[in-house]
Amino acid sequence: MPHRCVYPFTAIVGQEKAKKALLLNVINPRIGGVLLSGEKGTAKSTMVRALSGLLPELTVVDLPLNITEDRLIGAIDLEKAVSHGHRACEAGLLARAHGQLLYVDEVNLLSDHIVNSLLDVAQSGVCVVEREGISYAYHARFILVGSMNPEEGPLRPHFKDRFGLFVEVQGEKDRERRKEIMHRRLAYEKDREAFRQKYDPAERALGQELARARQILPDLLPGEDLVRLAAELAVKSCCQGHRAEQVLVETARALAALHGKNRVRLEDIWEAAELALPHRAASLRPLEQLQRRQQEQPQEEKPPGGKEGEQTESKEQTKREAALDPEGTAKHLMSPGREAIADAAREQKEQEQKERETREKVEAPGTTFPISLKHPATSPQNPRQGRGRRSLTRTTSLQGRYVRYRIPTGKVRDVAVDATLRAAAPWQKVRREEDAAERVIILTPDLREKMRERRVGHTILFVVDASGSMGARRRMAETKAAVLSLLHDSYRKRDNVGMLAFRGREAVSLLEITRSVELAQKKLSELPTGGRTPLAAGLELAYTKLKGYRAKDPGIIPLLVLVSDGRANVSLQGGDPLEEAKALGRCLRAAGFSSLVIDTEQDDLELGLARQLAGEMGARYIKLQELRAGGIAEAVRRTLSQ
Amino acid sequence: MKLEKLIYPFTAIVGQAMMKKALIANVINPALGGVLILGEKGTAKSTAVRALADLLPLLEVVDGCPFRCNPRVRATLCRICLERLEKGETLPVSKDKMRVVDLPISATEDRLVGTLDLEHALKKGEKKFEPGILAAANRSILYVDEVNLLDDHLVDILLDAAAMGVNTVEREGVSYSHPASFVLVGTMNPEEGNLRPQLLDRFGLAVEVRGEDAVEQRMEIVKRRLAYEKDPRAFAAAYAPAQQALAEKIAAAGAMLSEVTYSEQIIALIAEIAIELGVDGHRADITMLKTAIVLAAMEGRKEVKGADVAEAAAFVLPHRMKRKPFAAEQLDLSLVQERVKAYVKRGGH
Repeated sequence: MPHRCVYPFTAIVGQEKAKKALLLNVINPRIGGVLLSGEKGTAKSTMVRALSGLLPELTVVDLPLNITEDRLIGAIDLEKAVSHGHRACEAGLLARAHGQLLYVDEVNLLSDHIVNSLLDVAQSGVCVVEREGISYAYHARFILVGSMNPEEGPLRPHFKDRFGLFVEVQGEKDRERRKEIMHRRLAYEKDREAFRQKYDPAERALGQELARARQILPDLLPGEDLVRLAAELAVKSCCQGHRAEQVLVETARALAALHGKNRVRLEDIWEAAELALPHRAASLRPLEQLQRRQQEQPQEEKPPGGKEGEQTESKEQTKREAALDPEGTAKHLMSPGREAIADAAREQKEQEQKERETREKVEAPGTTFPISLKHPATSPQNPRQGRGRRSLTRTTSLQGRYVRYRIPTGKVRDVAVDATLRAAAPWQKVRREEDAAERVIILTPDLREKMRERRVGHTILFVVDASGSMGARRRMAETKAAVLSLLHDSYRKRDNVGMLAFRGREAVSLLEITRSVELAQKKLSELPTGGRTPLAAGLELAYTKLKGYRAKDPGIIPLLVLVSDGRANVSLQGGDPLEEAKALGRCLRAAGFSSLVIDTEQDDLELGLARQLAGEMGARYIKLQELRAGGIAEAVRRTLSQ
Repeated sequence: MKLEKLIYPFTAIVGQAMMKKALIANVINPALGGVLILGEKGTAKSTAVRALADLLPLLEVVDGCPFRCNPRVRATLCRICLERLEKGETLPVSKDKMRVVDLPISATEDRLVGTLDLEHALKKGEKKFEPGILAAANRSILYVDEVNLLDDHLVDILLDAAAMGVNTVEREGVSYSHPASFVLVGTMNPEEGNLRPQLLDRFGLAVEVRGEDAVEQRMEIVKRRLAYEKDPRAFAAAYAPAQQALAEKIAAAGAMLSEVTYSEQIIALIAEIAIELGVDGHRADITMLKTAIVLAAMEGRKEVKGADVAEAAAFVLPHRMKRKPFAAEQLDLSLVQERVKAYVKRGGH
């Protein structure tokens, strides 16, 4: 590799928590790795790569995003197979990572197949290759380090849990530190050799410290009381599974080793909790209370074991339990949401007397709110649902990332040359003898086909009711806010969005399907309201559009979002306006389009027309107010659990 | 038959001062991290990139090396060259032009990163790496038109390689890595979709281009284009002195780059701007400083001034601002101006 002069670990300014988490894993690989999450440009990958400069025996093995399965776990050794007819296994990247650090940058963008294989091996520590007629297993224990920017989409919870520790990385806010960062970076870029030399003593000292910590680690076993505390913490913070307490104990051991102590102390567990629980705990609040109470008391440390120790331990435990106020976390979580709703209600009251019906006006959107739109068609069990983008489709087109091969069922369009060669390889010796040929002989049964994966967002068509009835009581402002919030969610997930509105006599397409959410936002802000409600016309246009999109690209997953109060009063063909709308709703359902109806009705006199329509469409139904409340509660929970 | 490719002279391009400056700054210091050009079609983006490459001095390359390694810098050599060197061979040197390598948006992943050499594998049953576009782009300009329309996973790979200067391939039975350090120039029309923030941040500089508004300017563009098409050779000859002067300026700036100094106050100013504007991470600070250094060197100055920082900020900050969902996207550079003014008042210059 051309890059030997990595940036020195000890030259990294700040990021103490992340650095510590990495070092702890180097000391004790049983912690199970670390996940660094944070905004771009915060030295995440620099830190990880810098580790290789600390210990001569430690290398950082990069797992590139575009890796294929054969290179990850291993495959038949092509050359040996062709020339000798031997079936030997050529181990993959995971073999190289054995005893080392495996680094996945942008881990949230990794293909699902690769994640599954990786998880499997990370769990067992053994990589089993069963393919192409070979059966082979090798040890692959490694420190798994991932980094990600949450802006790009979340990580599968199951995968997240695999990482022992979690650190949220932030940029430095302090001016002096920022200055120092610039100084060092420029000095490094100017002369890498010299810069490394300057930090060489510090690097070596830290390396020695790590080596010493690694040495004393086996003797550091936590006492009964500490193990109990770890288990208790895991239970109290509602962690699923048993990994949390194990990670807590292993981390605490590594901490004690790093600090050069001869036993694991209480504060080690607390410090470990800060690193091991954030991504697992449903809420960290009980933990904080517990810790606060602990800190208020004089810290008494008892050596592990011994009768006396056990007694105080049980006393301490009762105290700790008392400290745990069983105040429902839900209440705590909900409060900001409630305030917002109350605010919104008050605003509505103030607007109450104002304008009504037919007059046309353009209303600015209200405040947006965080929200996450789930496609009704994808259940949590459905493996297609996943990280970042909404769905992952196996594409039959030739686009997308080649992740693995398969034995073709029909005509082969997309030959996986490597896999085909590997399949043919062991037979070459025999075939060549028969054929007296020099080249590789490939027969039809050898053919393998590429399986590609392409992340596609959904194609979401917003159908917005812009009639006069929507103009009342700031309803349109609320509606626009809701649609904007959904658009923001779409932006994060790279959906394609389109929009049409209906009012007066007709439905108009505001925006053809595009990936530019910004454009959609602009169109929405400018959308005027007023006039009657040609709901059927809106649905008919939506139907035509969706059919068109699906014809153009059969791979898309269309979703219709209808935002309306359902009070149709303009007929399309002269029939009953509402019945027409319902008939079209049934058409949409029959055509297999998933839909979501957001009911904007908020009068005291509820007609429930939108709900009826949703029933006909087979749509998920939600009231506008619920959307807002639920969105906020969820966002708060998400922030807390990070 | 060899087609002689005629290229419109860089110095004959009318207007688009920001874009031209950003491109020049990147060839002076390729570590700036590339340019993202935002704007409409037909604003001389691609012409400018090709014209600039044409202007640059010849590179020294290892003869026959698929990655065109620099024989003078051992740390950047590819495996093959390194092996030859270790065997005691001397690397043959030849001179080659700086290239502009195009990445079409229809490119497939295997073409981008390289793949298994099919012919070799079928004939010999041996694995051999067939270099891709990233290999060709080493020590060149990699030009991606409509980078926002490129498949996401390709953009990931592209920016990863750009950041590391190395392309790592672990696919289709091939395990290989080779140097891939290039100046990345991307163009996009924001109306056709966004680029993810993580990717935006990886572009060192960004400029927005617009068609020239003034009638005079537009007339000049047409006139020059006509003159060029009528007689490209005569046109090129007319601009030869200007081209020569610019080439010398670029060479001079590159040579003095390591001598440019910056005061403690300059760094403090940059940190202050970054903190007040609340930019994510530290790439903005570092790039601002590096850009200011290049700008000073372009003027033949050995010290960075406050004005350089202000100018650099306009290249570095706009695409890095935290995106509030759907807030009108307009960075207010007046804050930067204010800070620089205050800095000058404090006695800086």
